[in-house]
Amino acid sequence: MHTLWLIIQREFVSNVLTSRFMIGFLVCLLATAVAVLVQVDDYEKRLTAYNTAVREAKAEAREWDLYAKIKPKAHRKPNPLGIFNVGTENLGANTVTVELAKPIFEFSSPIWMAPTQKRGSDNPFLSMFLTVDVVFIFKIVLSALAILFAYNTISGEREDGTLKLVLSNSIPRDTVLLGKYLGGMLSLFPIVVVSLIVALLMALSSPATAFDGNDMLHILLIFGVSLLYVSTWYLLGLLLSVWTKEAATTLILSMFIWVILTSVHSNVATFAVAKFSPHKPQSKKEVFQQTSQVWNDFRKERDAYLKKRGYDSPTKTVSWRRDAEGKKGGSAGTSSMADDWFVTESYHIGNIRYADVSVLQEFLGYQEPLRIAYADKAEAILKKPGEEQERNAKFADALARISFADVYHFAVGAIAGTDRQSYNDFIEGARTYKREIVEYLKDKKAFSSRAWFSTDQGKAALTDLPQYSEERYRRLSVSQSFSRAAVDILILLAWNIVLFMAAYVSFLRYELS
Amino acid sequence: MIWHIATKEIYHHFMTLRFALMIILLPLLFVANALIYGLGDDGYAVQNNAYNRYVTQNDAHIKENANKSLAELALVGPGELPKRPSRLTFCAHGADEVIPRSVMMKSERSTSRTRGIPDEDYAWRHPFSLAYPLMSSYSKAPQRIKIDWVFIGMLMSFFAILFTFDAIAGERSRGTLSLIMSNTVSRGQVLLGKYLGAFLTLMVPLVIGILMNLLAILLTGSILFDSSDWLRILGMVGLFVLHVSVFIFLGLFFSSRVSNAITSLVWLLLTWVCLAFVFPSLLGTFVGNLKPIPSVDAVSMRKRVQLGQIDAEWREGPSPKLKKAPAIERPSVTRRWATYFTAISDTETQIADGHIDQQFRQVQLARDLTQISPLACFQYAMEGLANTGVVSYMNFVKQARRYRQTFTDFIKTEDRSDPESLHIYPVKEGLSQKPVTPAAVPRFTEHISHESVLVPVGLLILFNLLFFIVAQISFLKSDVK
Repeated sequence: MHTLWLIIQREFVSNVLTSRFMIGFLVCLLATAVAVLVQVDDYEKRLTAYNTAVREAKAEAREWDLYAKIKPKAHRKPNPLGIFNVGTENLGANTVTVELAKPIFEFSSPIWMAPTQKRGSDNPFLSMFLTVDVVFIFKIVLSALAILFAYNTISGEREDGTLKLVLSNSIPRDTVLLGKYLGGMLSLFPIVVVSLIVALLMALSSPATAFDGNDMLHILLIFGVSLLYVSTWYLLGLLLSVWTKEAATTLILSMFIWVILTSVHSNVATFAVAKFSPHKPQSKKEVFQQTSQVWNDFRKERDAYLKKRGYDSPTKTVSWRRDAEGKKGGSAGTSSMADDWFVTESYHIGNIRYADVSVLQEFLGYQEPLRIAYADKAEAILKKPGEEQERNAKFADALARISFADVYHFAVGAIAGTDRQSYNDFIEGARTYKREIVEYLKDKKAFSSRAWFSTDQGKAALTDLPQYSEERYRRLSVSQSFSRAAVDILILLAWNIVLFMAAYVSFLRYELS
Repeated sequence: MIWHIATKEIYHHFMTLRFALMIILLPLLFVANALIYGLGDDGYAVQNNAYNRYVTQNDAHIKENANKSLAELALVGPGELPKRPSRLTFCAHGADEVIPRSVMMKSERSTSRTRGIPDEDYAWRHPFSLAYPLMSSYSKAPQRIKIDWVFIGMLMSFFAILFTFDAIAGERSRGTLSLIMSNTVSRGQVLLGKYLGAFLTLMVPLVIGILMNLLAILLTGSILFDSSDWLRILGMVGLFVLHVSVFIFLGLFFSSRVSNAITSLVWLLLTWVCLAFVFPSLLGTFVGNLKPIPSVDAVSMRKRVQLGQIDAEWREGPSPKLKKAPAIERPSVTRRWATYFTAISDTETQIADGHIDQQFRQVQLARDLTQISPLACFQYAMEGLANTGVVSYMNFVKQARRYRQTFTDFIKTEDRSDPESLHIYPVKEGLSQKPVTPAAVPRFTEHISHESVLVPVGLLILFNLLFFIVAQISFLKSDVK
């Protein structure tokens, strides 16, 4: 035990005194600081846009007086952990408007009046720049440092002739290897810790950020995974150092592996999948053909119902009493909006005092739930292209996972809650929210109420309308986040074990001469 | 003597592991690039077909309306103007997924008036305006790095570092540097010899890779080049030369500066990471977001409000200014309609042009500043030669605007030659009702300019000179031991 500690100490001291430690430390710290600076600024802008949107939506909600007119919104709250890993924070829609008659879906191109929209400042041309965040810098810089620390641990000592001296003592070889590993990790540890702490302090210095205990635990988890990642690279360097005879060869070989794993592999894999996608999503035209068929069916079913009841249009269900002067009381009108993917209709009754709208109410009690059911059908069709793309992206991810640099990125994305899955959860959450609202309206019998189309007998009572709350749908506890990132963390762990075992076995069989 | 050192260096490099790895990796990537772009989805052939389809459609559109009447053509506009796809996308992809492939010069809206007193059934069409449909910004996982020549160029700069980090520092620690210096060779010659050695070694796999790449593209027959393409490809090879050379000088500088090879590698590697990934991107994002611009939603909202105000003033308010339908017999009414239409198109144009100009200014500033990295210069120069990327779209938009002017001027001059017309633009009743010869209507042709290449190329040359001088000075002043 004592010798192990001695080796660790010696390794640590010899590493820390080198210039590569100082330079690496400095560059990692600086790059992290600059990245956090930019990302905090970005986060503040997202948060301002979010708060404005929420405020505006609240003001809008106060104006609702008819059940037919409500348009509750689900806003995607900016994730403070996005400062560390931006992921999908700036991508995709961040506001979903829940309209009962409209399906909630996303398309690869913006669609006019679609429920999913993007608010805030946005310039698509700026997406030509890579997003650089703390995790990206760790992924690239820390891995390079780990390799630069590890490449000469064995082959370097062998060249200097000191390895013989070490092994001629009565120290077992596994102790030497373990000592070198732990010593190397110990010297990388301060770089990771200080960089993360600086990042955290800079993030906290902004008035916009407030990390709660849950967030802190998440950051701790990110820290743990980062250490695991660094350790993987260090072990890889160590293994190469055992396998090769000269330190120079180790260095070149590990540099190549480094550039391939961090920059080449995942990009080639993702790009190849994008260009040869295994799942071909349907085109916009095909999808819209199907949805317009759905809405045609809706119209047919509705008209059949009306005919059965003996009316030929919804407005004809209103019967009129004569007014004081003996004239016919008023008129009923429909205004409708339709596209291939939705049909909305609203009804105005002029001079409602003289109208008997009980049949219309009954009819609406039938028609509106039917419309919602058809919107769900259309939604199922409209969702499909996105699901196909998601399948493609999953396939690309699976290929990218061959490189543990990307495994690390995925793991942190899952922990921070900024990965694609979290984004999809947001859209799914908005769908759940819509169902809740539908249930709420059903419970209130709102569809067949007079306040659906008219305020003359009181406004719609919407005080207890369910609110979209971010916490219910998106914020995960540490254990949930951990279990989501579990696969990736396990892959990293497995790489660690395999690399360590390989280095261990090779070192035991190492020929000194 | 320089040549002697260079050949010695080359032979030495050829025997090394890094050369073996590089000569496997680079041609592999080049072939992968050719196959992905040649055979993958949405390749040049597909884009070109779509482009040709648009051009034919456009032609038919102009013919149809020109045969109807000049007035009709004046209102519907020349149609959708497609941007010609570049054959050299595989060299520099640009940010293709966010760059729209066409702009609209088409009247979409057809409105019929239902309220208003005398002419209930008067239906009209708003005159066309230039609109810039946006490509999706909704993609959940956009890929910023594409496997194009620019990406391979980025790797080349990494290899340049790997070949030079120990060029001087390594010899110094081995003690061979003092042996060389004891000869009658000047330090400048040694440095140049080392430079040439590394440079030629790097060119070997690059040239092999490019040849294999072009061969693969020609064999699969996916893209057919014309003579100007070959010239541009040659220009790109020149860019590779400039780009790689910058990093060789940089490597030599660090190598002569520090005492041992590993320190020089650490410096170089971190510099490379910063230049390749960190600084251009961070700077771009930061500068780009300095002055936030309104989102697409906000802009379209503003547009709707302003158009609503105009409509309220002219037709829908309590005392609308437009009470009668325009007709040839009523020039004063027609003139009033012209003012209304002009107000609408001016608002539309002002908002659409203003918004896209704001976006362009943001990107332009970010791009200009990121050119402090030679890697970014290389990328922009490649995009300029390939005619891809944001700048090519900016040029396209500029030309589309010029064409808008040409087209309206054409309509006005044609109209003037018809004595029966009221000469009131842009109301249908105020313009000539006679057909025009479709062939006389000006068509949109895109002129490709490679002007944007100049600045980044100039900067690349400047970087070369700068790093050459710095390397030279640092080597002259360095110790042999």
